[in-house]
Amino acid sequence: MKKFFLGHHHVRSVSAANAFALVLVLALLGAPAYLSPYHRALALALLADVALAVSWAFFSGPTRYLSLATGAFFGAGAYTTAVLGGSLAWPLPVLAGAMVGAGFALVVGVLALRLRGPYFAVFTFGLAELAKHLVIWYETGFTGTVGRWILAQPGQWTIYYTVLSLAGLAVATTFLLRRSRWGYALVGVGSDEERAETLGINTTLVKIGVFALSAAFMGAVGASMAPRWTYLDPNVFNPFVSFQVVIMVLLGGAHSIWGPVVGAVFIGLASEILLLKFRYFYMFGLGLTLIAVVLALPSGLMGLAHYLRRHPKRPHATA
Amino acid sequence: MNLSLLFDIMISGLIIGGIYALVALGLNLQYGLMRVLNVAHGEFLMLGAYITYSLYTGWGVNPLLTLLITAPLAFGVGLALHRLLYRRVLVEGEAPEVLESRSLLLSFGLLFVIQNAALLLWSSDIKGYGYLSIPLRFLGAIFSANRIVAAAVALGVSVGFYLYLKRSIAGKAIRALMQEPEGAQLVGISLPKLHAYCFGVGIAMSAITGSLISMFFELTPFIGLSYTVTALVVIILGGLGNMMGSLAGGLILGLVETLGVYFAASDIRPIVSYGVLSLILILKPSGLFNR
Repeated sequence: MKKFFLGHHHVRSVSAANAFALVLVLALLGAPAYLSPYHRALALALLADVALAVSWAFFSGPTRYLSLATGAFFGAGAYTTAVLGGSLAWPLPVLAGAMVGAGFALVVGVLALRLRGPYFAVFTFGLAELAKHLVIWYETGFTGTVGRWILAQPGQWTIYYTVLSLAGLAVATTFLLRRSRWGYALVGVGSDEERAETLGINTTLVKIGVFALSAAFMGAVGASMAPRWTYLDPNVFNPFVSFQVVIMVLLGGAHSIWGPVVGAVFIGLASEILLLKFRYFYMFGLGLTLIAVVLALPSGLMGLAHYLRRHPKRPHATA
Repeated sequence: MNLSLLFDIMISGLIIGGIYALVALGLNLQYGLMRVLNVAHGEFLMLGAYITYSLYTGWGVNPLLTLLITAPLAFGVGLALHRLLYRRVLVEGEAPEVLESRSLLLSFGLLFVIQNAALLLWSSDIKGYGYLSIPLRFLGAIFSANRIVAAAVALGVSVGFYLYLKRSIAGKAIRALMQEPEGAQLVGISLPKLHAYCFGVGIAMSAITGSLISMFFELTPFIGLSYTVTALVVIILGGLGNMMGSLAGGLILGLVETLGVYFAASDIRPIVSYGVLSLILILKPSGLFNR
């Protein structure tokens, strides 16, 4: 339906975007031909950020449930790889990580998705910390270690292609979800949960299902990234990861498909350049970014770009 | 378990509980009135503690006198933050959940900004000093004087504020706003003015607590969050917007925690506080005594 109402100009800009996307995909696929090890590591980190941000957004974007559980699911996936310790051939630990992430999210979802507003956010915020202390307690009490070596290393480019596929899969899932009944149901949950339920949507099923799907991606990303550290301890359950992802998505724009991607690349690059050298300045800046986005850019950079395209003469206001 | 040990645990619990009560009262004042779940609340406690530390170690100012500096300073910062940040978010006519989420995000932003500013200013090294660490003996148990003084001041401020809410006209206006925001505004109570005022008072309470505990606890820029979590547990236990509940809840949590640490181990504290919080949220999704 919508296509009929798009002007000629708009159609052309869409095909330009398609061409750009095609070039980008080819460039990412052919990366071994021209990327140095440093740039490969950077590209890998950015792709992981993109996968996390996109999978966070396809649940939290439409439903408006502010999940701060990303760090917990990512950590669970990473720890899965460490526990398996090379006993499974490569893509299998990733699959296992996805399953652990999804299972974790099912439990959390059943318990916590009844909570609304800030209660849900506070509950999920505690998860990473809780998981960390539980793993420390278990490891010291039962296995007598507090960290694990990951000696079985897949090739660097294998990890790269794994994470690239995950990022691509996450974007594809967003497209598919948006056009599916579940996608509409999620939007319904976000705008008025009781009304959605009255209209016959099984909101609990939809919420928990998509929450688990997004956690499966987070777990898979964690599992894929784990071999990069060689040595892993329970600090991999990091609440900071949760925040960084939220800031990425809000900066890019939670309600557009490409918003999370743009935000992830933006913050990912900033963290790569600043985090190691100026750690506290970076975190300070991240906090200021969050405040500025909440106050001035409620629909993120993509919302701003959209607004500017429609109102080219008034660049100061925001969408 | 003999009597003097029980007495020891009781008093230690009440001392910690009095401190928790004051932090929780401050958080409850912000949440009960504005629905701003200020997760940066504990950061103001940390700032208060560091300012007192700097004044005492740098200029030899009596830590108890620094309250006269930290409290008004924090009140002013609270007014400024309300004006710059929260007022803009709260006036827009969106669904309450959206407003709550946005103000929560603002507080998380503040948490990052304040914590890392403190790290830049004071570094992550552990700081501390001793003041009034004179042992006092009661009934066979020994307490340090600074803790008694801190608990007395914290409880004094809490009870004083509670009476102020009950007795004074301004206190009545605040309680009216909590119970019936529309009605209160109809009879001429200014919502923005009291919001700003309560936000400032809440933050001042946090900073006062920080100044007090700096006399006997070690400081790092990371101490704030654990107090925020404790205060959250207390206000959810005692009821959102229920000030008496915060007072009682703080004291009870202090007692329970002291008992728990005595019988179990102190390293389970983070698991216990998050665990209690999660459990309450799961069992009672909108708080124990939510109106």
